[in-house]
Amino acid sequence: MAISKEIYKALEAVVGSQYISDDPVICEGYRSGPGGYESGLGYERVMTKVPGCVIMPRTTEEVQRIVKVCYRNDVPYVPYSTGFYGSRSHPHVEDALLIDLKRMNDFKLDEKHFYVEVGPGMIYSPIQEECMKHGAYVVIGGGGAQASAIANLIGDGWSPLSHRIGLPHRRILGTEVVMPDGELLKLGSLAEGDDPFWGEGPGPDLRGLLRGYTGLRGCLGIVTRMAIKTLPFQPERLEPTGISPNTALALPEKRVKWINFVVPSKDAQVQAMREIGHAEIAGAVTKVPLFWRAIAKAECKEEFWDLWSKENEETVANFFIVRVLLIGYTSEEQMEYDERVLMDIMSEVGGIARRTKPSDESWIKNADSAGMWLMCGGYVSVDYVIETLSQSPDHGPSYADLKRKYTPPLMPDYGDPGWFQSFELGHQGYSEFLVYWDQDDDTNPVDQFYVDTSKMNIKNRFYTSLLGPHQPLYLTGPQYGPNYHEFLLKVKNEFDPKWKSHPPVPLAHDVFVERAPWMHHMKDWESPDDLPK
Amino acid sequence: MDVRSRLCEIVGADNCSDDPVQLRIYESDFSYTPAGAANYVAKPASAEEVAGIVKLCNENRIPVVPCSSQVHFYGATIPKEGGLVLDLSRMAKVLEIDPDNRRVRFEAGVTWGQLTRELKEKGFRVIMPLTPPAQRSVLTDFLEREEPTNQVYDYGEPLQAMEVVWPTGEIFRMGSASVNGYPDSPSKGGNPSGPGLDFYRFFQCAQGTMGVVTWTNLKIESIPKRDKILFAPIDDLDHVMDFLHRILPRRIGQEVLLLNQVDLAAILAEEWPGDFTRLKDALPPWTLILVISGLLRRPEEKLAYEESFLDQVTRNEFSDLRLGENLPGFPGLRNRLLPILRNPWPADVPHWKNRVKGACQSLFFHTRPGKAQQFVTKVNEIAARYGYPGQDIGIYIQPIEHNRACRPEFTFFYNPADEDETATIRALYREAAAALLKEGAVFTRPYGDLAPIVYERAASYAAALKRIKKVFDPNNIMNPSNLCF
Repeated sequence: MAISKEIYKALEAVVGSQYISDDPVICEGYRSGPGGYESGLGYERVMTKVPGCVIMPRTTEEVQRIVKVCYRNDVPYVPYSTGFYGSRSHPHVEDALLIDLKRMNDFKLDEKHFYVEVGPGMIYSPIQEECMKHGAYVVIGGGGAQASAIANLIGDGWSPLSHRIGLPHRRILGTEVVMPDGELLKLGSLAEGDDPFWGEGPGPDLRGLLRGYTGLRGCLGIVTRMAIKTLPFQPERLEPTGISPNTALALPEKRVKWINFVVPSKDAQVQAMREIGHAEIAGAVTKVPLFWRAIAKAECKEEFWDLWSKENEETVANFFIVRVLLIGYTSEEQMEYDERVLMDIMSEVGGIARRTKPSDESWIKNADSAGMWLMCGGYVSVDYVIETLSQSPDHGPSYADLKRKYTPPLMPDYGDPGWFQSFELGHQGYSEFLVYWDQDDDTNPVDQFYVDTSKMNIKNRFYTSLLGPHQPLYLTGPQYGPNYHEFLLKVKNEFDPKWKSHPPVPLAHDVFVERAPWMHHMKDWESPDDLPK
Repeated sequence: MDVRSRLCEIVGADNCSDDPVQLRIYESDFSYTPAGAANYVAKPASAEEVAGIVKLCNENRIPVVPCSSQVHFYGATIPKEGGLVLDLSRMAKVLEIDPDNRRVRFEAGVTWGQLTRELKEKGFRVIMPLTPPAQRSVLTDFLEREEPTNQVYDYGEPLQAMEVVWPTGEIFRMGSASVNGYPDSPSKGGNPSGPGLDFYRFFQCAQGTMGVVTWTNLKIESIPKRDKILFAPIDDLDHVMDFLHRILPRRIGQEVLLLNQVDLAAILAEEWPGDFTRLKDALPPWTLILVISGLLRRPEEKLAYEESFLDQVTRNEFSDLRLGENLPGFPGLRNRLLPILRNPWPADVPHWKNRVKGACQSLFFHTRPGKAQQFVTKVNEIAARYGYPGQDIGIYIQPIEHNRACRPEFTFFYNPADEDETATIRALYREAAAALLKEGAVFTRPYGDLAPIVYERAASYAAALKRIKKVFDPNNIMNPSNLCF
């Protein structure tokens, strides 16, 4: 049902005529792509629609009123902040209202109690800058410093800095959520008063509704305000240097230092990470794909391919680097202590320190997402999962094996097994596998590869990030939990019985498989007949 | 077949009962919560048996009260609507100790005494709350969000992936333990989150109302190689909070806590009541306890840089703070207190909280450290109105998350045999809770009388909780009449 004039007027009354439009030109600006995460794939082509109307609220109360109008009038709506997740963040049904949250960019920093309070339009870049001015820091997720901090915290929210800082879920403090029917739910200390400094309860913790391991893509309400815990950093200034795009933060070497080590084998990489965790040192410990080095060095696509084409299966197979970030949280003496312990460990595993620039180009400053499109134009992370260092090192190679079957159109990367690292001082391990493709190729096999990874994870008993709305729910549901999909759908039906909050998520990937003829042969799982068509 | 017979089929005749004598041990606890009788008790030995019992109860609308510990302080396991006590004490296996990932997996009935003993043999420890009773369930304490005395780890929460039985009887594994065939899988259960939703959050502080957790994975830490325990006598709470703001964000220390003279005396006293009275009179109003530790590698060097930092801060900025290895006037304290902080309270010694007068009522919440003194003053004022002397209130303040928050705990000791005194404490507790809530105290664990006070204020939260509860427990069988259910 198109948004009628009456409904439009009701919505206009909420935000004023300046902040609502159904002008096709304006709405076209919210078409998914071109470019961006997962862009150009079948999911985008089949599932995304240009919104019928766009609205830009300023306050939680406005969001509530908008959602209530939608719910009363059966208008589907989609919350949208900075849209990193491309096609997943855009409407999937005709004539949906896109609620653009960028105007909700309030920002308050509480230095003493280590949190920032933000709206969904607030991005990481200024948050990190302000935090570091006041002795704190945050994790900028892989989505990059241009991503909405709230969207990132309820979707993903990690980086190599998670070696020390840990799971993003733990940093969500007092939060306001406009539920799918427009009712306001206040979480943590906001449930009992006006102070957002605390995240839990009271009683059972409804932060469980905000996300699973990864996010729900707006199908269970809209977060309009969140206090995000920051972590104490060290006191020295990290100076911005360089000219865009070659910018960096110059590091105060006695307090912050990256050191790259070459180690003799993958076992040595894992052992080094474990020992660093057991010794409770360092601010980040990671191993990244070899081609990231080419990305970092290249200033254009051609240069990347010049560099990358010099590599081969052997160089990739023998690339064993461990990148360690030391931070003098306590003092220079503490950092010296960490470095001595680190050198002990590296000596034991046969690691050799390489000359490392005294600067940070990515993880403290801005994460790396912008570089991901450099090589081919198309990019997606097919898994980014926190488990343990028992799973993480073996997870990537299983992806690399599967990927061979789909290369091309996937970029030839000589069997690179991706990225893994320590989380939470070695209590957890992380693995991420990224794929790239040329958008001018037939990309249907990329869609097929994506679903095939789920089957591989199920078969090999790997935990995976791509659950919930990220893969067909009826494929993964019976295999994890088991039957987590049944409980997720019960919760969805309870809070959004009319399925107006970003329909048909969390069943969107199931619907995609039904609609895309090139996916039909992949479907070897049961699903109900009444899926939205 | 009647309910008892079906229970016997599931767990065996030796492990279920409707004998009122056997049921009596579940009727009351160390709180003032009125006694309540169950109709049955069942002691399952596996998740499958738990599932069978819960399913049976759900079909017959029989309330289920899960009970993992052998000692209780908050009234949460007292049956309030009859039904069945699900005694998980037979589920007491430590299933795995995984040194590589510093992880332990254990069942709900595993106690502090058992787990710390088994871990110690392997060189590991659990960061623990202050003096948990040895016979209390470790899983329950972490589910109920007891705050550890060690707050140096940025990642906080030690619970990892766990298994539950939903109120409708399905067995469900959460987080990365949700993979098929777990634990025979590369996925070890290190991540509590997902699948689909963060279901594990619904079980936190749920007092058994959302289902039954059968086992969990938990982070463990290496036992330090060297420790040094430091003390400072404190008169001015605001001043010590400033000091903690200065040092804890710099990641100094392992265990860090503040105790007033009543609580510290109760913890230290050996001869009762003589020791307790003498210590209470002699100890400073507050004592800051700070443990610094050398870990697995270069332990002396780690101690050295922490001491160097503390020395600089105390010399240059807090010269009046007498931080040292001895508390003036109490020689030998350092040798006594560290084992107390690192071990559960022994099962054969009455818990210090109950030694003072036989029973106690604790009021605890979260707040900003700068407001701690305000709350102390307020509680003293209210207590005075009830004739409870301020100098008899036990106070423990736990700095949290690098001292960005803290958890004050006020303990009112009373004689449970004295009905008037019990009634007075109950009235004092309720008035204090309501007053503190109004002044911004954040109550995350609303037990008993506290629940209606908190949920009246958190009305929208309570409404959403009830909807979630209905999704998972449509017949409201799980521990009814607790929280807002």
